[in-house]
Amino acid sequence: MSVHFPQKKLPYLLLLPQLVITFIFFLWPAEQAIEQAFYQEDAFGLSREFVGLDNFIDIFQDPQYYTSIGVTLIFSFSVAFLGMALALWLAVMADRVIRGKLAYQTLLIWPYAVAPALAGVLWWILFDPSMGPVALWLETVGVEWNHFLNGDQAMILVVISATWKQISYNFLFFLAGLQAVPRSLIEAAAIDGASPAKRFWDIVFPLLSPTTFFLLVVNLVYAFFDTFGVIDATTQGGPGVSTATMVYKVFNDGFIGLDLGSSAAQSVVLMGLVGIMTVVQFRYIERKVEY
Amino acid sequence: MIENRPWLTAISHLSLLLGIAMVALPVWVALVASTHPTEAFGSGEIPLWFGDQAIQNWGAVLFAKAGNGIDVPVWSMMLNSLVMALGITIGKIAISILSAYAIVFFRFPFRGTAFWVIFITLMLPVEVRIVPTYEVVANLDMLNSYSGLVLPLIASATATFLFRQCFMTVPGELVEAARIDGAGPIRFFFDILMPLSRTNIAALFVIMFIYGWNQYLWPLIVTTDDAYYTLVMSIKRMLSVEQGDVEWNQVMVTTLLAMLPPVLVVVGMQKLFVKGLVDAEK
Amino acid sequence: MSDLVLENIGKTYANGYHAIPSIDLNIEQGEFIVLVGPSGCGKSTLLRMVAGLETITQGDLLIKGERVNDKEPAARDIAMVFQNYALYPHMSVYDNMAYGLKNRGVNKDEIDTKVNAVAVMLGLEELLSRKPKQLSGGQRQRVAMGRAMVRDPKVFLFDEPLSNLDAKLRVQMRVEIRELQRKLGTTTLYVTHDQVEAMTLADRLVVLNKGHAEQIGTPMELYDRPASTFVAQFIGSPSMNLIPTSVKSEYLQLSVDIRLPCPQLADQKLIWGIRPEHVEICAAEEADVMLNVKAVEALGAETLVHGSLQLGDGNTPNFVVRLAGHHTPKLGERLPLRVPRSAWHLFDAETQQRVEKSCN
Repeated sequence: MSVHFPQKKLPYLLLLPQLVITFIFFLWPAEQAIEQAFYQEDAFGLSREFVGLDNFIDIFQDPQYYTSIGVTLIFSFSVAFLGMALALWLAVMADRVIRGKLAYQTLLIWPYAVAPALAGVLWWILFDPSMGPVALWLETVGVEWNHFLNGDQAMILVVISATWKQISYNFLFFLAGLQAVPRSLIEAAAIDGASPAKRFWDIVFPLLSPTTFFLLVVNLVYAFFDTFGVIDATTQGGPGVSTATMVYKVFNDGFIGLDLGSSAAQSVVLMGLVGIMTVVQFRYIERKVEY
Repeated sequence: MIENRPWLTAISHLSLLLGIAMVALPVWVALVASTHPTEAFGSGEIPLWFGDQAIQNWGAVLFAKAGNGIDVPVWSMMLNSLVMALGITIGKIAISILSAYAIVFFRFPFRGTAFWVIFITLMLPVEVRIVPTYEVVANLDMLNSYSGLVLPLIASATATFLFRQCFMTVPGELVEAARIDGAGPIRFFFDILMPLSRTNIAALFVIMFIYGWNQYLWPLIVTTDDAYYTLVMSIKRMLSVEQGDVEWNQVMVTTLLAMLPPVLVVVGMQKLFVKGLVDAEK
Repeated sequence: MSDLVLENIGKTYANGYHAIPSIDLNIEQGEFIVLVGPSGCGKSTLLRMVAGLETITQGDLLIKGERVNDKEPAARDIAMVFQNYALYPHMSVYDNMAYGLKNRGVNKDEIDTKVNAVAVMLGLEELLSRKPKQLSGGQRQRVAMGRAMVRDPKVFLFDEPLSNLDAKLRVQMRVEIRELQRKLGTTTLYVTHDQVEAMTLADRLVVLNKGHAEQIGTPMELYDRPASTFVAQFIGSPSMNLIPTSVKSEYLQLSVDIRLPCPQLADQKLIWGIRPEHVEICAAEEADVMLNVKAVEALGAETLVHGSLQLGDGNTPNFVVRLAGHHTPKLGERLPLRVPRSAWHLFDAETQQRVEKSCN
């Protein structure tokens, strides 16, 4: 926009609420986290001591931290891959049908509105080892299911819960992407003798790649940060630490373990990570949108 | 469709129906579970068809007390959730719209700085800065209060960016015409800009309402008084009782009630919801 | 007293760019002034400075004798019609027209009377409750004018208001604007890049080139006595033929072998010009010059012949001739032409300014 109002003081007034909130609840805590990361505090918060980079050195020497990185990666990529694959399949199917498209869409997108914690609880009850219908059915086919004891099964449960909620989001974006593929291209490929499956892989899928890349980033961010509720409500990081992601560990070490220095150092590492992801995402968006 | 292949169409419909069934399965089971007496869960398997306790269970949870160690009824937590969700939504929209207005329609020193300060909030989800934020809120004496539930969550870079994007499409001539018509910045904001942004505001409202309603971790740590419990986080408290003593029927009723409002919003305002989702991600 | 006065008005942007060095203009009450020039000549900037949408960095702007440089647009008592109309999309036609009055605290009944009166004048009575989206281009244009008229301002400002309309509608609206302005008698400043629009609407024209006024005058003054080669080329269509030449020993030297008598001028380098419509076909022995025909555009009422002049020294400048009625010269034909001395325009080769002494 090239046209502006000439007032000089008004804009500061308009920005004030946003900036005040940002300073109090974002910058101040962020600054505290960074400061805290260089101190060692006793469990009662009575005294603290400057320890330099010790907290960072500690977390990077702690095998549990590497476990949590591994857990985070396995969890995030599983959720992203599973959620996107299922959503793409459903979107392709929905794009094909003529009748009932909107009804299908409605019936597929509502899980977006369900809080991650609730999604976790819903799937927990299905898989509950003593009474869940799915767990009991698994038993009849010879799978001993108990996600309270078996770390892999706990991971599968949280992945399913987190994916279930995210399918609707991916579905909507894939459907929009598919509908944006020019009809004439598909028709041209059909005239060139490509079968429906071949048309999909040769024409449609490559054209969808911007959507796919965008969704990959969004899904990873979602799995990193927004799935705290799923894990906390169903497995609480357990059994052991088999579903404790990095974000969960920050909370757990800080609030439950009361190791504030380590928690703060982990926060700082995560902030850096989010920073990188945001910049990547922003760069990508910026290329599409003109500022 | 290019060719007419009936079996492909059949597969499409079948896949979609299967998808819908998969998506709905847990809710179905929860719905069934919510209609049985507590004893039904001890016997080893969740019944697969509805029981006869629907009215008792739902009535008790909604109006008497949620159970599992929570002594307030669901309707009161629902009210808290509503206050929090609306507070977050309205707060986010209000402060974002103002700052986007400042950034797009004015030129002033430190405009770029302000923009970057807002941008930083994108990088710091509450989950990442949870411990220090808790301390700040505790220092400000805002634990167990609505302001403590709402304020730390209302700064929003996404909403600011969205409004910025939307404002930038307003033709400059409209501003000039308004100036000639004697409308200053405040009047322009209310008379022209707000009515023009109606759909965008509504779409964002839908998305932010869902976001606000579904807050989990933050209310979980800042509320210890059940008078301020929100519905979504109360589930965690209900599940914290001794394993085996969980009254699953009540948990299921609460879960279903907790997801009902945002699901209704999504289904009822599907068009706005889709627009909001797409816009919010640029 | 003049109605609108621009005294040494100039615009320098913050980055040091001189958009407009200095312009002086006195506009009388009720006059219709058109600012015309190619894109980037500063005409819109000048208009927006009068409107108060751009700051004036030099000189004085007076409306009815009062200096308004530092006044807000709304306080200058001007009204403006924008190129894309700038109608408020969410307001009805009625509200669009009433908005400026409402902001000035005019009471409801008075607003109602004024809006309705203007609506009748513009034939918008039936459309008052519609939104801009439901209107055709011409109707939107009318609403934009109505919004300006309803306030009964001291000055109307138009910023290329017809450029978004199709050709037929443009002609119709042009006539309407002129009629309305005469009826209302409101002083008007009108910006366009279209020279036909400029010629037909203006009481006086201001031809702008790179931020300075090349010439100010009535359309016919500009046509008959363009002050510079720029104006000569800009006014009239197809534009004036201009050929660099010189005067030597009382002859205009079109080329080595074509010399036209020109006794009043001293030896100097010149640009010689003649409008296409002033050139005549003649018998071969009376010809001043020969045209090598390259293209013929028959338009029914007139015929445009494009070609190049055969000048003896190998120089073949492009030349256009505009003839009334039907003519069918063949391509490649050599057409004998006469260039009446009375229709000559001469410009200094250095300064590009008009040389007033005529040759006859």
